[in-house]
Amino acid sequence: MEVRLFQWIAPILVLLILTNNVLRYYRGRTDLRETILSGALWIGIALLAIFPDEISNFIAEILGFKSNTNAVLFLGLGLVFFIQYRLYRLQVKNREDLTKLTRSVALLNFQDEEESTQ
Amino acid sequence: MTPASLPVLVILPAYNEAEVIAEVIADIKRVLDCPIVVVDDGSTDETYQKVRKAGVPVLRHPINRGAGAACMTGIAFARLKKHPYVAFMDADGQHLAEDLIPMFERLQKTEADLVIGSRFLSENHQIPVIRRFYNQIANILTNTFCQGRYSDTQSGFRLLGERAITGIDLYQDDFSYCSEMIIHAEQENLQIVECPISVRYTPYSLRKGQDFQVGIKTAFNFLWKLLFR
Repeated sequence: MEVRLFQWIAPILVLLILTNNVLRYYRGRTDLRETILSGALWIGIALLAIFPDEISNFIAEILGFKSNTNAVLFLGLGLVFFIQYRLYRLQVKNREDLTKLTRSVALLNFQDEEESTQ
Repeated sequence: MTPASLPVLVILPAYNEAEVIAEVIADIKRVLDCPIVVVDDGSTDETYQKVRKAGVPVLRHPINRGAGAACMTGIAFARLKKHPYVAFMDADGQHLAEDLIPMFERLQKTEADLVIGSRFLSENHQIPVIRRFYNQIANILTNTFCQGRYSDTQSGFRLLGERAITGIDLYQDDFSYCSEMIIHAEQENLQIVECPISVRYTPYSLRKGQDFQVGIKTAFNFLWKLLFR
C-alpha cells in the first residue's frame, strides 16, 4: 500500500491534539464529555486519513451514495451544520446570560440608589 | 380632573424615547394615581435624564437587550417589591392611560390573571393598514400555538395580576415576548382576557415598534426558540 504524505502528517497532528486535550482535561480546563467528544472526532479524522478509500467506500455503501467522494462531501456538510448549530446554541446561551447579568445590574443599582437616598 | 387611584404599578419599557417620555409620564400622572417605573433599556439618548427629571424611578439596563428583556426586568422588579398588579404600556405615547381603568375593572370582574389591551376590539380603531397586516400575520402565528384565540397578540398594553407576575418568565429578549407571554400564561393555566383599548398613532410612534424586517426576524426567532428550546 502506497503511503502518501498526508497519511503521516494528519495522524501525527491528531496525536498532538489528543495529547493536548487529555492534558487540558487533567488540568481541569475541559470536562470529560467535551474531551471524549472532541477525541472521537479527531480519532475519526485520523482514521479517515490513514484509510481514506476504505472508510469513504464503506460510508458510501451504508448511506447509498454512488461514489465515495459524494459520501465524504455529504459528511463534511453534515459536520459543518452540526458545528453551526453548536455555535448558535452557544450564542443563544451567551445572550441569555448577558440579559440576566444586565437585569441583575439594573436591579442592584436601583436598590443601591434607593438605599443611598433613604 | 382628579387622577383615579389604582393599585397598579405602571411599567414603561423605554429605548431612546427622550423625545416623548416626559410627556408620556405626565399624561399618565394626569389620569392615574399609581406608582410608575421606567425600564431604560440601555438608551443612548437622554431618556434616563428626562425620566429622572420627571421624578420617576428608573431601572437602567447598562446595555440594550430588547423589549422582552426590559419587560422581564419590570416583572422581576414587581416580584422583588411584591406588587400585586403590573401594567405594561409603550413608552412612545401610543397608549392612553385612561384605558387602564376599564382593564383593571375587567381583571377584577373576570378574576383574570392577564388582561391584553386589544386595539382591534375598539370600534373606531384607526390602525394603519400596514400595521394591521403585520398584526394579523402575528396573530395567526401566535394563535396557532395557543388554545384561545386572541385579537391582538402583539399589543404592548397589558395588565398582569399576582399569579401572572409570579408565574410568567420571559426568555425572548425581542418583540416576540408578546407572543411568548400569552403562550406561557396558557401553559401556567392562567386566565387571559382581552379589553378594548384606543391607540394614538403619531408620526413618532409610527417610526418606532416593528417594521417588516424586524417582524420577519421576530417571527423566525419565535418559531426557532419554540421548536428548539
